[in-house]
Amino acid sequence: MTQSGLRVVGRDHPIADAALKVTGGLVYGIDMDLPRMLHARLLLSPVAHAHIVGIDASKALALPGVIAVFSHLNAPAAPYSRYRILPGQALCPEDETLFTATARFVGDRVAAVVATDAQTAADAVALVDVDYEELPELLTPEAALREGASPIHPAGNLLHEFDQTVGEPIARRADAVTVTITVATPRLHHAAIEPHLCLADYDESGKLTIWSPTQSVFGARTVVADLFGLSYNRVRVIKVPMGGSFGGKQEFILEPVTAFMAMATKRPVKLVLDRAQCIAGTMVRPATVSRVSLGVSRDGRLEDVDVDTVLDAGAYATSSPDYAGMMAHKLTRLYRVPHYHHHGRVAYTTTPVGGGCRGYGAPEFVTALEIAFDQVARELGIDPIDLRLQNLVQPHDIDALSGMSLGDARVRECLERGAEAFGWRERLRTPRGDERRRIGVGMACGAHKNGILSTDFPDFSTMAMKMNEDGSVALSASLHEVGCGTRTAMALIVAEELEMSPDLVSITEADSDTTPYDFGCFGSRVTYVCGAAARGTAAALKARLVELAALVMQRPAHELRAHDGRVEAVVGPAEYLPYGAVVMAAKTRLSEDAFVHYTHRATSNPGAYSVQFAEVSVDCATGLTTVTDFLAVGDVGQAINRLMVEGQFVGAVQMGIGSALCEEVRLDDRGRPPAGGFKTYHIVNAPDMPKVRVLLVEHEGDEGPYGAKSVGEIAVVPTAAAVVNAINQALGTSLADLPVTPEKIVAALAQGQGD
Amino acid sequence: MRLSFEVNGVRRELDVDPAARLIDVLRDELGLTGTKEGCGEGECGACTVLIDDRAVDSCLVIAAQVRDKRVLTVEGLARDGELDVLQQQFIDHGAVQCGFCTPGMLMSAKALLLAHPQPSERQIRVALAGNLCRCTGYGAIIAAVTAAGRALAAGGEAWGPESAAEPAADGEASRALNEAGVPPVFGGLLSADTPAAGDDSR
Repeated sequence: MTQSGLRVVGRDHPIADAALKVTGGLVYGIDMDLPRMLHARLLLSPVAHAHIVGIDASKALALPGVIAVFSHLNAPAAPYSRYRILPGQALCPEDETLFTATARFVGDRVAAVVATDAQTAADAVALVDVDYEELPELLTPEAALREGASPIHPAGNLLHEFDQTVGEPIARRADAVTVTITVATPRLHHAAIEPHLCLADYDESGKLTIWSPTQSVFGARTVVADLFGLSYNRVRVIKVPMGGSFGGKQEFILEPVTAFMAMATKRPVKLVLDRAQCIAGTMVRPATVSRVSLGVSRDGRLEDVDVDTVLDAGAYATSSPDYAGMMAHKLTRLYRVPHYHHHGRVAYTTTPVGGGCRGYGAPEFVTALEIAFDQVARELGIDPIDLRLQNLVQPHDIDALSGMSLGDARVRECLERGAEAFGWRERLRTPRGDERRRIGVGMACGAHKNGILSTDFPDFSTMAMKMNEDGSVALSASLHEVGCGTRTAMALIVAEELEMSPDLVSITEADSDTTPYDFGCFGSRVTYVCGAAARGTAAALKARLVELAALVMQRPAHELRAHDGRVEAVVGPAEYLPYGAVVMAAKTRLSEDAFVHYTHRATSNPGAYSVQFAEVSVDCATGLTTVTDFLAVGDVGQAINRLMVEGQFVGAVQMGIGSALCEEVRLDDRGRPPAGGFKTYHIVNAPDMPKVRVLLVEHEGDEGPYGAKSVGEIAVVPTAAAVVNAINQALGTSLADLPVTPEKIVAALAQGQGD
Repeated sequence: MRLSFEVNGVRRELDVDPAARLIDVLRDELGLTGTKEGCGEGECGACTVLIDDRAVDSCLVIAAQVRDKRVLTVEGLARDGELDVLQQQFIDHGAVQCGFCTPGMLMSAKALLLAHPQPSERQIRVALAGNLCRCTGYGAIIAAVTAAGRALAAGGEAWGPESAAEPAADGEASRALNEAGVPPVFGGLLSADTPAAGDDSR
């Protein structure tokens, strides 16, 4: 329910560039051509671990149209971190190079061919002879951390380790129960339908320009400029339309190597990956294994939580140390607990590189936690929702870990309203299905965040806005539209604040040369932090219009207000000027401009919440699971664009069901993914997708614009756990090794698991 | 090879490599970059176009296969500056997010509506089985196609097939489509290991 008094916020709005997208008119990076442009193709390692002892590019170079072949033999060897957005940023080990001299996974960058056309580049890659001296593969953290395992990087295979403790152990009664379960979440492909790509040009003035569907132009600039020793003003990164990311384009995978090839050839270069390269050679959601022990009193109060997580970073560190740490930041946002200990280890392995993915550790941790919660409920013989209600946080609780308020945290309301709408208690009481096809229901709660503010790191966003002579406005902001309608949401916020039509508001995307600083589009910070900045900037412009109108009308500002597209007198003689007339008069009579800039500094980071309910049908003979009904409830504070908020939930459920049932970048015993892209990596398609109902819990009270909180990441956090819990409820199993494939279900039933 | 075919209602004569993929001819020779490549192996459907009113993956079709045929791409959906009812419903229902799957999604939906102006939800889901979307979860897309069908039934402006869709090819995938009442495709739009075709081995 939208707050009263809102005019455009909270309603359904198609995204602003939808007409371009349905006509094929939007120019994505893959559609861009630059004059004299060359095409690059990467040669990725076919072996998981090897010294590269020789590279013979002579046959490739002999092919007409080939301009250059690059490898570690003729490229800078300086190491860098693809994840680092700030100079000197902590937890960003610099362990990657443009082209590697040691292949560390199947998909590692060995060489690249630059040619006059894409086909020639592809043909030439096949002619590059590489001599590999193979080393032992270390395909799991267990193998990599074993005593005596050969080091994948000089500092050893234990990349990061932490111990985190909150509270003190309490005396527990003899009848208290402890349930321990080990939950594995798979290595996932983000599966944006747009493949990874980048364009770069290095001109005669020494300016490097990069066009990339990135989530952070300033981060890309930092990494590239530091790598090549360029001052930051000499590297311009322009965000181009993005065909989906889900975190897969958060880190700077292709920008450094594309920039290098443009600098080396003095020609614009376009690098596009194919789907198999995207799966193996960019980054994956890291595989995790968490052993979760929940100590619970006989009446269902959570008393003690102990977690041991191992995260498989793959071949390079990227964001994995941060990512693992974030997994340990979710429990205290969701549940009250007197004592919580979390031990985490992050291991290098010779497997595809782990990196940021939608939810950033929350789906992985919550999957483990919520599967464990259902095992506790079963052990105690109580309804899973009653167990949660005993322990969920209350609004304005202090997060015991961060020391910050959880804000108006409405997770209980999500659960209660969701259980009612889903008919949870009736469905749980009424067994359905038959001997072969079992029907079960499952639910899970999830928590996430709103931005990157912590007690030791800030969050803020700077924007600028001008009003044109006709009263339309332009917001200059470093936004990174990932496809979910970010710019439309900002236009709605600006239009609401300025009391004008969103059609009269234009919104930029990020360009490191021309738009104000912003960290980037990640961390569930865009609506909450950037949205608040957009609102604050619009409010500043509104105040500026009153100030200018007062000068034009020659009367005190306190007699005026900006309202409904004009500045009007509220006391004294009645008169008004339309916004555009104020701007024209200011320019022509006062030499003044309707231009403002504003920095919003976040002072809070409340919890984002979702509670989700799934019904599944499991065929005990084949092990095939069908999700037959799904309800996603979200505490979003206030929907800015209802249509797209709901779309975020339905889309997230698609990802979450996939991670529960079928998605996994599997590797064979030599570390090789199967051939083919989407032929062997299945994401849920239209016939397999259930109808998803979305229920939004809305309220004022948090710092986001009009009370809005984040949506895109929290929406996927509890999905997989809800599905797996439904399977376990249907079968009486304790399946916890995701994805829960038909093979695993059949095997569990054959072993006598289940009831 | 000299290739003559019709694209979006216009007769084209081109010199092309006979082995060139249709998607490359459309994008690189004709500048029709609305057709997207998401996988290059006929699995994602982003490159779907219509050939004589049937949906195909243009990454799996070689240029010689379209000789003297009618090809329709996303750029040809709107007529005289008016969006096709499907395009409008996609916009209105929030069926467009990042937009990369959208052209292919629209073309598969167009083929469905040409053959079955009033499709059932099941028919819609099966017709879109070979078009992957990572943003929307398909719900808004299915709603948009449903609404487009209703708009057509209510007498909305739409343009129809110039020839009736012909039956049939062999194979599991085609049968799965036929049972749902959707015209068969060629070019591997729905391959045998697509989950919708009844595969449970994922």
